Amino acid sequence: MVAALLFAAVGIALAGAAGVWLMRNPYQRLHYLALPSGFSGLLVTIAVLLHDPQKQAALKVALTALALFAMNAVLTHATARAAWVREHGEWPPKEPPGPP
Amino acid sequence: MNAWLAGATALCAGLVPCAWVCLRARDHFDRLVALEMAAMLVSLAMILLAEEMGRPLFLDLGLALALLSFGGGLVFARFLEGWV
Repeated sequence: MVAALLFAAVGIALAGAAGVWLMRNPYQRLHYLALPSGFSGLLVTIAVLLHDPQKQAALKVALTALALFAMNAVLTHATARAAWVREHGEWPPKEPPGPP
Repeated sequence: MNAWLAGATALCAGLVPCAWVCLRARDHFDRLVALEMAAMLVSLAMILLAEEMGRPLFLDLGLALALLSFGGGLVFARFLEGWV
């Protein structure tokens, strides 16, 4: 069971890394950060919970997974916003022109 | 080699595409995104290695890297926004 959880966690993280490699621009690449921070952290936490008799270890891993999950959301938005400002010079973006 | 060590090894292999993007991408922000992904992979790899060696004390490294890479990513994003 632990090996299956680890296999899934690592597979998802590697899929995220492949996505960062294959996508064409930062905005597309940013989506793939959610894979390891959202899923792999959770699966590793469950694996440690099942594997380690000491619950303190699982608590630390859960804290790390929570940190990765919560902070990735903020970091993704900050990076996307900075890329937008660098490209377009202003934030927030102007309203798109209405229908012709 | 047990599952933990194999998982940590595979996660480190995931650093290769991140390094490729860091070194070869045209846009600064592509490189920054790859750096953020690399930090996440290493944080998870540290957890797996600490569990494999049976040393819960080293789990703090993964937590510290997760927290510090967040701060570092924000600083890079802010810096790249207008100073380079």
